[in-house]
Amino acid sequence: MSVIELENVTKIYKLGEVETRALDNVSLTIDEGEFAAIVGPSGSGKTTMLQMMGCLDKPNSGVVKVNGHSVGQLSANRQADLRREEIGFIFQFFALVPVLSAYENVELPLLLNGIAADERKRRARSLLDAVGLADRIHHRPDQLSGGQQQRVAIARALATQPSLVLADEPTANLDTANGQQAMEIMQRLNQETGTAFVFATHDDQVISFARRVIKMRDGRIVDNGR
Amino acid sequence: MALTKFWVIAYRDLVRNRRRTVLTLLAVALGMMVLILMSGMFTGVTQGALRENIRLNTGHLQLRAESYEVEKLSLLAKDLLPDSQTLAAQVQTLPQVESVAPVLWMSGILSTSRESSGVQVTGVDVTAVFHAPIRDGIVGGSYLTPDSRGQILLGSNLAEEMGIGVGQRISLAVGTSDGGLDEGIFTVAGLFDTGIPSYDQNTVVMPLAQAQTFARTGERASTLIVTLKNQEDTDSVAAALQQPGIKVLPWQELNGLFLELMQTGLGFYYMIYTIVILVVAVLIANTLLMSVFERTREMGILAALGMKGRQIMVMVLFEAMILALLGTAVGFIFGSSVVSYLAKIGIDIGNGAAAAVEGMALGNKMYPVFAPGQALVLALFLFAIVTLVSLYPARFAAKLEPVQALHTL
Repeated sequence: MSVIELENVTKIYKLGEVETRALDNVSLTIDEGEFAAIVGPSGSGKTTMLQMMGCLDKPNSGVVKVNGHSVGQLSANRQADLRREEIGFIFQFFALVPVLSAYENVELPLLLNGIAADERKRRARSLLDAVGLADRIHHRPDQLSGGQQQRVAIARALATQPSLVLADEPTANLDTANGQQAMEIMQRLNQETGTAFVFATHDDQVISFARRVIKMRDGRIVDNGR
Repeated sequence: MALTKFWVIAYRDLVRNRRRTVLTLLAVALGMMVLILMSGMFTGVTQGALRENIRLNTGHLQLRAESYEVEKLSLLAKDLLPDSQTLAAQVQTLPQVESVAPVLWMSGILSTSRESSGVQVTGVDVTAVFHAPIRDGIVGGSYLTPDSRGQILLGSNLAEEMGIGVGQRISLAVGTSDGGLDEGIFTVAGLFDTGIPSYDQNTVVMPLAQAQTFARTGERASTLIVTLKNQEDTDSVAAALQQPGIKVLPWQELNGLFLELMQTGLGFYYMIYTIVILVVAVLIANTLLMSVFERTREMGILAALGMKGRQIMVMVLFEAMILALLGTAVGFIFGSSVVSYLAKIGIDIGNGAAAAVEGMALGNKMYPVFAPGQALVLALFLFAIVTLVSLYPARFAAKLEPVQALHTL
């Protein structure tokens, strides 16, 4: 069953008089449990594609479906609900809430989803344990290394047990060893939870882990990896 | 519930920018202090001046002849109260009455060999309780007796300005009831300081009988000043004293100009209150807006995590409420402490300033009054306005587009 479906999606950005076609009539399907990488040179539309999948932006034309539901007609609030319940995000900058501890960062999406305290505690601890940070749960982001912060972000992305995790250049700010460790963790969690992972990247290390590689150029998919 | 976490995030965000938060808190606290101080001063001055004016000048009630006009200080028989002593005795029989004092007012010119000055001459029943502030305020020489002949009392400020001392003989000229002018030589028996410079600067006091003889008014008096044991009995006593040919003036009417002035002053104070509150509110809104700008990407992350616009708005509002609540509380505590302290020791405003305010019995010390109810209303008002103004940065944060917010560095 497909988690995400993009049908003839076009996204145009306007900068003054200049129009940039970031996505040009793109169609793509991501199935449950996939571990896919979207690759291509800078400006090829990878990040825009991820934003469409994550309901962070709306296309100019075409249809985006999450678990079979078309998101085009949804209000901003309903889109927020969908992001909260179905999608996890990992960003290239270590996008943690700076004033919250590692544990609180992982707990936050669970709080927003109205999960009970006991269950929140269990899931947050178990995920932080899974990413190897059981001994760092009370540390704030500024007390953690880059690699550790990204591992907290991975745990947070999986906290609500989403059907899809979107990761935009997740290893871009990590050294090789930390990048390798982050990818290994995500690969393991993909296998254990069945959550689909989609990466936008041009890092060969990430690509080597992907079971499907989708290639983009100039806003178009030149190879959908199947 | 996520609401608790919003408080935590709001609180920690404030702690994160400690210097900015402390400065903003200080501004709110100072604003609150200014509000309490201003309110305390205004209440203190108005209540104090009114109380002093009643105690020294007007009493709670006055009985005058129907045609008497205080501005003219008329001495014509038709404008004065006939047989004032009998009328005073009659008023004194009412149980609510504390004291009754017949007074004869005249305008006069006081002269020494070097200079002269226009004064108000007041003929008083020197035994009347109402004139205790003069008797108690004697700072040189002695008070008068009913039998004092050719003797007067001078306000200490007036004496000082004209270089007159106790025992000195001076010339006093007054208009008489038959329209003429009479002049007499009097000895200064004593100098008084009532604590109200405007009163002490132009008042000459002499025994009533002597004043009546001097102005040739017979037993007549300009007014009968009545003080009551309880100010709240004013209306009922005024009603009981009504009689043909006599007008009964309550303290509100006797101090009408002053009360009107205070009403205008109050409007002016409300305007300043509003300005202070708005300045504080705009300051907090600006602080929050800066904070939102700095945390735009963080807002984007929260939106990506599924936080709704209104939840982000609530989080920012919580920051405003913490700032407003803490600042107001600190300002309230310090403001009320300062006002309570000043209420005990008073603020010296000097004789010159007090005397400069015509028609107001201002002492040379100002005593603020801490009115907890009024201070609480001001605090609530400040808190409400700050929260209301903070809706702007809160809505700004709520309306950030996640994708644009995430791309902000």
